[in-house]
Amino acid sequence: MTRPLPSRWIRRALDQAPVLLVVLVLAGFGRMSDRFLTPDNLTQILLQAAAPVIVATGMTFVLLTAGVDLSVGAVMFVGAAIAGKMALAGYAPTLCLAAMLAVGLAGGGINALLVTRLRLAAFIATLAMLFIGRGLGRWITQTRAMNLPDTFLHWGSANVLGIPGPLWVAGAVVLIAQLILSRTPFGRQVLAFGNHPEAARRAGVRTRPLQAAVYILCGLCAALGGGVALTQLGSVSPRFGEQYEFDAITAAVLGGTSLFGGRGRVFPGTVLGAILLKAIFSGLVILQADPYLYPLITAVIIFVAVLLDSLRTHLLPA
Amino acid sequence: MKGDTTPPTSGGRETRPPAVSFEDIEKGFFGVPVLKRVRFSAQAGRITGLVGENGAGKSTLMNLLGGNLQPDSGQLRVNGSPYAPRGSGDARAAGIAFVHQELNLFPNLSIAENLFLTEFPRAAGGLPWIDRRKLRDRARHLLDQVDLAHDPDTPVERLPPGERQLLEIARALGAQAHLLLLDEPTTSLSVRECARLFDLMHRLRTRGIAMVYISHALGDVLNHCDDLVILRDGEVVGRGPAAEFTQERLVSLMVGRELNQLYPVRTPPPVPADSRPREPLLDVRGITQPGRVRDISFRLAPGEILGVAGLMGAGRSELARILFGLDPHASGEIRVEGRPLEGGPRRRIREGLAFLTEDRRHEGLCLEASVADNLALVTLGQHARTPVRWLDLPGIGTAVARIRDALQVSTRVTDAQPVRTLSGGNQQKVVLGKWLLSEPRILILDEPTRGIDVGARFEIYQWIHRLADRGSGILVISSEIEELIGLCDRILVMRQGELSGEFPRGEFNREQILAAALHTSTS
Amino acid sequence: MNPAVPVPLRRLSADARAAILLPLVLFLLLAAFTPGFATAGNLGNLVVAGLPLLVLATGQTVVLITGGIDLSVTAVIGLTSVLGALVMSGDAGWLRGSPAATPVALAVMLGTGATVGLLNGSCIAWLRMPAFMVTLTTTLFMGGLAVWLAQRQVHAESIYNLPAAFLLLGNRPGLAAGVAIAAAAATHLLLTRTLLGRWFQAVGYNPRTALISGVPVGGTVVTAYVLSGMMASLTSILITARLETGSPSHGRTLLLDVIGAAVIGGTSLFGGKGTVPGTAAGVLFLALLSNGLNQLNLSDFFITMVKGAVILMAALLDVRRNRWARES
Repeated sequence: MTRPLPSRWIRRALDQAPVLLVVLVLAGFGRMSDRFLTPDNLTQILLQAAAPVIVATGMTFVLLTAGVDLSVGAVMFVGAAIAGKMALAGYAPTLCLAAMLAVGLAGGGINALLVTRLRLAAFIATLAMLFIGRGLGRWITQTRAMNLPDTFLHWGSANVLGIPGPLWVAGAVVLIAQLILSRTPFGRQVLAFGNHPEAARRAGVRTRPLQAAVYILCGLCAALGGGVALTQLGSVSPRFGEQYEFDAITAAVLGGTSLFGGRGRVFPGTVLGAILLKAIFSGLVILQADPYLYPLITAVIIFVAVLLDSLRTHLLPA
Repeated sequence: MKGDTTPPTSGGRETRPPAVSFEDIEKGFFGVPVLKRVRFSAQAGRITGLVGENGAGKSTLMNLLGGNLQPDSGQLRVNGSPYAPRGSGDARAAGIAFVHQELNLFPNLSIAENLFLTEFPRAAGGLPWIDRRKLRDRARHLLDQVDLAHDPDTPVERLPPGERQLLEIARALGAQAHLLLLDEPTTSLSVRECARLFDLMHRLRTRGIAMVYISHALGDVLNHCDDLVILRDGEVVGRGPAAEFTQERLVSLMVGRELNQLYPVRTPPPVPADSRPREPLLDVRGITQPGRVRDISFRLAPGEILGVAGLMGAGRSELARILFGLDPHASGEIRVEGRPLEGGPRRRIREGLAFLTEDRRHEGLCLEASVADNLALVTLGQHARTPVRWLDLPGIGTAVARIRDALQVSTRVTDAQPVRTLSGGNQQKVVLGKWLLSEPRILILDEPTRGIDVGARFEIYQWIHRLADRGSGILVISSEIEELIGLCDRILVMRQGELSGEFPRGEFNREQILAAALHTSTS
Repeated sequence: MNPAVPVPLRRLSADARAAILLPLVLFLLLAAFTPGFATAGNLGNLVVAGLPLLVLATGQTVVLITGGIDLSVTAVIGLTSVLGALVMSGDAGWLRGSPAATPVALAVMLGTGATVGLLNGSCIAWLRMPAFMVTLTTTLFMGGLAVWLAQRQVHAESIYNLPAAFLLLGNRPGLAAGVAIAAAAATHLLLTRTLLGRWFQAVGYNPRTALISGVPVGGTVVTAYVLSGMMASLTSILITARLETGSPSHGRTLLLDVIGAAVIGGTSLFGGKGTVPGTAAGVLFLALLSNGLNQLNLSDFFITMVKGAVILMAALLDVRRNRWARES
């Protein structure tokens, strides 16, 4: 291109966009209300971000391969429904959560099968799984809310070394994901595959197992995120996990992960993206904005994130 | 079976089997032979230069070695053992590595990661962690061998093209390759980068690595190769130590064939272009687009067939795309009969332009659509009546049938058949047909006969003549100098984005045209 | 590459015309095994219930032919319904009581779909954003907007008291059927007999070839989404009239049906291929299926699951169909 300088600056600004946005949002709401930048509220934001961070971490892996998983919210719901049923039947909470993870594994496995073996487009396969999962979940719960034994809530509000349990789990997931992505052959091959699938295949990467693995990982993360949400809420409503697919994709894309594959990170990108989302909604709550506007605001945020990703991918020279 | 090669016996080169040998290899596509009993070998510790015009069969040979294609007959051997690869994995296992023009690197990963993508050193303890220190050490070791001073953690997107080429070679070395195939590695390199590459090749030679070097830069080939193999029309027409060849002899061997394809005779015979009194149909003035073409000016007269010769990457297709409004240009002007030409393809088609691209499958046709739909695509608008642009289907049917008969698309083909199922020749006739229906005044043809059998070629030439006789101007891009000489009234030559020669019909000379198209020696 | 499927069956499935066999077989099965199925009353219900889906799936077929997808149609239905009702409702309408209420409302409703389509199409064609992501996002936005508008204006989900002139469309099944079938037929003619129809196909088969052949690719893509949006609005008009309320939740369950109907009917998710009669067969199949499931007294969540499975099967069939067509 003839004008390398501006595009380099734009690119640099876009690369730092998540951090800039978080700072802007915190400062903006901080000015508008003195109840926003309090330690209590900030902790609350982090707690609310814990489950989305975990789900979005799995989503990041899928997006890095230029795929997408629209079924994460449904997987959470099915897992929570089964865990809830088991808890009410008197099974130990650990067993319930283990069952939830098994559901995630199964959901991810089916997605992997559909995408890598049967060659369906990821968005259509996982969209169908979204509906199947939600139907299944409502069938299991018979569309009734379930209140879980107190043990769950105790876990959700437990502090270890002064830090709440959900944050420990989210932190661990992010740490492990970051290590997998940056320190294992698998992680580096995921990035290579997302950048250029055909070249990765030619270079000797076993692309099918790799693709399958990201969907399974994403299913697992969805279930784990669902587990954390379950311990925070203490109940399973028929709308459990709804629109988590949006939150997860938005968090990842806001954090700089591309829908076109090959570019993105879990830390700080996706983590900041998820925190950003929750900070915005916390701010809206504090400012007592009309709750019916929330979906509109979410949509605008997603739109801007996807637009920026598209511009960066297509309109800026490499 | 493919991996077990007999260990080379120590001692002189004579006792050792060649690193790779082609024994009477034959290969054809759709009945058109591409390789005819090709027989040659490349020795360990030597650089074998492989030269030939575009389409002589070099890339088919590479595809056979890489396992992307299988020979129809004949035997490949690596280090003396039979070698029948079925894919890139087999080639890797046999110690064969490719360095292509278009690179297979991942710009979003670091140098070290690109080098060891499938062979990461693992940390001790059974965990799948990459041992970063070992990775860096090994990468640095490889980088030293190719003289790259970068930190192994540098992302590849920060490297200039020349250094990426060296990195590809480093990757081959890392994979323990003993046979390196370099396919036009210098096309995007500066003079200094080329010198580094040749330095490296000489050093690798002393380590006993066999290299096959494919290039159009004949000066480089003569200076840096030990043995030469010259291909023409799928046959080996010369081979031996490089010292036995001169640039002139190479060129005459490369183009030496007689006119083995018939070109239709033009009636009436063409008038020399420069004596035409009429104003030019197409007037191109100083077209420049950085990185693509520079300061291209020429005129195309009505009834003229103007050829554009040059090597791949010389900017010919890029020029055609600019003329048709597909790509932008930074400066310069294009005029048709004195009026400036603007807008995208749609506007230019209305101005009488037509463009048959070199990529028939991806840009010329809708492969899954029917023959009739493809033929009608460009001229649909002429059969549409306002206000809702209702299509005159019988009219379209008549036009399609007329052009189909005129083009003699095989009678076994039905109109409803998807174009994908047609042979290459019939597919190309369909692309030509859709443009003929628009009765273009300026027809741009980019490699119109690539991969097409002799019969269909002749018919395409006849159509080009017919259009020219009706007063259309025709721009033909071809990598076959032969074809341009047989077909054109005048030939322009492009090299590295610029015009490097112009030959009127009386002065056509294969050697001079080729010389104008080839790179000047870089060392 | 699947030897388990015999060749004649592959041929059959590769032929889009075979789509009509599916609803036929299902009809016979249901007629044989479900008492009370083959009654005139039930079949009449079935057709009336299928009309909105026919209109919606026809619009979707156009977008799928261009190689895209429009997931926003269900939200357009809700938004259109609320906006139309806010214009004409006797309770809270802007033009309540005015004789112009119904025509203005109809215009506003169709305009809503066109606007959303324009937005979708522009993002996809000019800003090169992925179609499924753009239309998912507009779903979220337009769905939210519909709820917000309803809450703000009437503090409730639903808006009642629509003018009688508008409700005619709901009271007279013949009129609704006429409108729906006319829309489908017009789209069929558009696809098969007009320049634009051929452009849709060319863009779906190969946008690069289409561009070089002089097709205005961007404009064609935008037009497809505008058309899909307007068809969604028309669907909303039919549903709103039949249910006699304006509500953001209309059409919410239709998303899978609409894609399923098109793909079962032979429209390819890979672009280029698709016909309105095929889609009509797909709609009939789904209408029969949900009618049959209702007769079996299955619960709503079970039906959702079955529909999800139907989508999977349809997408699978699409992939196979393309591969078999290539092998033959």
